[in-house]
Amino acid sequence: MAQSSKQDILQGTLDMLILQTLALEPMHGWGIAQRIQQISRDVLQVNQGSLYPALHRLEQQGWIDAEWNASENNRQAKYYRLTRTGKRQLSQERENWARMTDAVTRILRTQE
Amino acid sequence: MERELDTELEFHLDMLAAQYVERGMSPDNARRAARQIFGVVDRVKDDVRDTWLTRTLEAIGQDVRYGMRGLRRYRGYAAAVIATMALGIGANTAIFSVVNAVVLQPLPYQRGDDLVLLRQARSDRENTGFSINDIDDIKALTTTMDAVVEYHGMYFILLGGWEPARVATGVVSWDYFDTLGIRPLLGRGFVEREDGPDGPATLIISYQYWQRAFKGDPAIIGRLVTMNDRQHTVVGVLPDVPMYPQGNDVYMPRGACPFRMNPREAARRGSGMALAMGRRKPGVSIHETQADVDAIARQLQSKYPNAYPAARGYALTASPLRREFTRGFESTLFMLLGAAGFVLLIVCASVANLSIARTLRREHELSLRTALGADRGRLLRQLLTENVLLSIAGAAAGLILALVGLELLVSYAERFTARASEIRIDATVLLFTLSISILTGLVAGVVPALSRRLPSKRGSNRQDLRRLLIVGQVAVSVVLLIGAGLMLRSLLKLTGVDPGFTTDRVLTMQIDLDFSKYGNSPERSDYLDRLLAGLRRVPGALYVGASGTIPFLEGSHGAFDHFLIEGQPIDRNRLPRASVKIASDDYFRAMNIPMISGRSFGSSDDLDHPAVVIVNQSLATRHWPGGDAVGHRISGDGVTWNTIVGVVADVRQQLAQEPEAELYLAMKQSPWVTTNWVIRSSTSFESMAPIVRDAVHAVDPGQPIFRLRPLDELRAASIAPPRLTTMLIGVFAGLALVITAAGIGGVIAFSVGQRTQELGVRLAFGARRLDLVSMILAEGIRLTAIGLALGIAGALLLGSMLTTVLFGVGPTDALTYTAVSSLLLIVAGLACLVPALRAGSTDPLEALRAL
Repeated sequence: MAQSSKQDILQGTLDMLILQTLALEPMHGWGIAQRIQQISRDVLQVNQGSLYPALHRLEQQGWIDAEWNASENNRQAKYYRLTRTGKRQLSQERENWARMTDAVTRILRTQE
Repeated sequence: MERELDTELEFHLDMLAAQYVERGMSPDNARRAARQIFGVVDRVKDDVRDTWLTRTLEAIGQDVRYGMRGLRRYRGYAAAVIATMALGIGANTAIFSVVNAVVLQPLPYQRGDDLVLLRQARSDRENTGFSINDIDDIKALTTTMDAVVEYHGMYFILLGGWEPARVATGVVSWDYFDTLGIRPLLGRGFVEREDGPDGPATLIISYQYWQRAFKGDPAIIGRLVTMNDRQHTVVGVLPDVPMYPQGNDVYMPRGACPFRMNPREAARRGSGMALAMGRRKPGVSIHETQADVDAIARQLQSKYPNAYPAARGYALTASPLRREFTRGFESTLFMLLGAAGFVLLIVCASVANLSIARTLRREHELSLRTALGADRGRLLRQLLTENVLLSIAGAAAGLILALVGLELLVSYAERFTARASEIRIDATVLLFTLSISILTGLVAGVVPALSRRLPSKRGSNRQDLRRLLIVGQVAVSVVLLIGAGLMLRSLLKLTGVDPGFTTDRVLTMQIDLDFSKYGNSPERSDYLDRLLAGLRRVPGALYVGASGTIPFLEGSHGAFDHFLIEGQPIDRNRLPRASVKIASDDYFRAMNIPMISGRSFGSSDDLDHPAVVIVNQSLATRHWPGGDAVGHRISGDGVTWNTIVGVVADVRQQLAQEPEAELYLAMKQSPWVTTNWVIRSSTSFESMAPIVRDAVHAVDPGQPIFRLRPLDELRAASIAPPRLTTMLIGVFAGLALVITAAGIGGVIAFSVGQRTQELGVRLAFGARRLDLVSMILAEGIRLTAIGLALGIAGALLLGSMLTTVLFGVGPTDALTYTAVSSLLLIVAGLACLVPALRAGSTDPLEALRAL
């Protein structure tokens, strides 16, 4: 890989990132991928091939739901939106994440 | 969904390509690059589709897993529900499988539903047989039937099988099997030229007899066997189908039956030897056929006023043959189905009750989960899944119970109907099982779900609902228990009936003489004499007697015939009637039937001496109320006059039947072909039987012996049907009682658990422990008493339905009602005792601390 600074998203965290992105505003798949890339300053690269299965999985789970709307360039696009259970799920995943990174950081520190 | 997915992905690719164009790629390259980055679009689509499927499966799997986990945690509850459901579903499946096979399913004949059984009745006698002339006339006159066939049953001796055998023989019209719509399994049916006396003698054997006597030999067709001194060729084997009125071993065309072809018998319009069946033309209703035979009856009456005198009435009826197979059994079956239905009601209530109790106990868990954000739909779905899992397990267990009981049930049904062999768990039965288990599951799931909607004050309303269910269970159980109690009382009465003779240490057997060997009276008389002498020499034999038929056998009431009394004016329309029997010298002594007056038959009452007769007390007092019957003469035909030499006490031919007028001819003067022997002995049946067998064969080695049994056993077998029915109803009632008692105990225990604090306060304020125990007991007894009152009311309403099945007790028998009430109260009291004692041992300190 030429761009070593760019990373594929960690297994399992994609869901959380999608939920987080949608917590700001409803968005279509393309927008979500762009947003994750932008906010992470291009560090995180959404694997386009796994984005849509993830979106559909989340939709089935009832954490997000979808609606067809006109996009910025006036085309029909599927906009995803966070549901109430999705919000709860997000906060839970956030907590888990915080706990985990905290733990990992602590372990790394002891090794220094 | 697919289209939406396409559009969605298309949009993404376009946006990606547009980005590349912005960065300076050519549109074509941009598109290609976009695709590359995106991965092969189809792969993505597949992945997305996978999520749809996985999600559905996962949801189901998760529900099932949660359900299992939930049930594992409440193992006792699950076991109780499954066991209760299994009992209800098993009982209903088993009984329904019988109803399905013998009532609902069509006869396994081609046009079975078109077949009718014809009957003729006179005002003083119902269902007399048809004469050959009757059947010929009906066949000629009918407009609604395309075939009318005749049947009569005989016993012949068949030689040429493995051993000489007495075979039940159906003598039938040549087109009998074609009309019934039964195609032979092997060979062919009868043909028209076998119908007359000059036709070839042929036989068609039943499937069972083929298996039993010929070991299912496929080369049976064409085999020659000897019957009635004639060679008969086996031309066909019947399939394994039920036959009316009974399954015979073999069938012969009427042309081969010496009895049927006897010109005198065939010409006699009053002979009544045959049974007639017809087949309705397609599209003809049973009512049209009835109207048709009504018209035929009128024509016959006006044409032959002597044979069908107006004063004695004459009626023809046509009834569906299918119903005849279950005649007398249907009411029993529906009673059993009703009882099983009651059990199911109790099971539903009980399962609902268990389910509510668990919901109450789980209240905490459920509200916690709701608070934690589990959505209500999901929770409901999980509760439903649990119920479905329980229903499936209950249904499976019930089905196993039904399968286990099926063999017993078939042998029970065999006593009532030839169609018992058709009983099996088929698709219809499975559908029924599925339906009732879904129903039970729904009731068990919906009732508690509804109760959740009730405004609830710490579950008190739900506890009220549980009490209501208990009252209902008690009421239904009471109805069942009273039904079972009445039947038991009736059975005990029946068992205790004194038939007028004694049955212990009496050996019985039936001897059917070979028609061809002993065709004439003197030959038969001589043989019977030698047999009697041989049997008298058997060590241990006290008295040896013989009669045509003996009590407890089917058809033992014998043939009723008119007779004339010497010196009395003859009114042809109102002739006296009696059941005609024969008896040997020692028959009455062997049966222990007392002589009232006169003498028994002696060795000199033979064909060389004047004809004599012995009458029973009913007949004697009816016609000679002064008690001077002995010495008078009676006659059956106005030609031979029999002098009455003795009067014997009345006997019952069946335990449930009142004695009727009977007359006995001397066996030596009327040596019948079929005789039943009774040997009163000083030793056991087991030691007697082989010696008796040898003694019979010493007289004629080719003589088959039929039904060698103790008289006690015949007596017991004769009331086996009511005994088994009572047992079944008793089992149902017992199940109901156990389930209900468990229910009462459960509700009371729960109520004690909820009232711990109250009980503690009461103790603290000086209540004695005994007061608490009796308070709790009273609560249980109160519920039971309410249910009991309702149940008694229900039983009084439904009881009249039992009148026809009961013997010697009324449907409102006070003893039964009292016994059932006491039993129920005692059982309920015991069920409440455990929780009541627990209430009594409440620790006030602990109870108050929990406040």
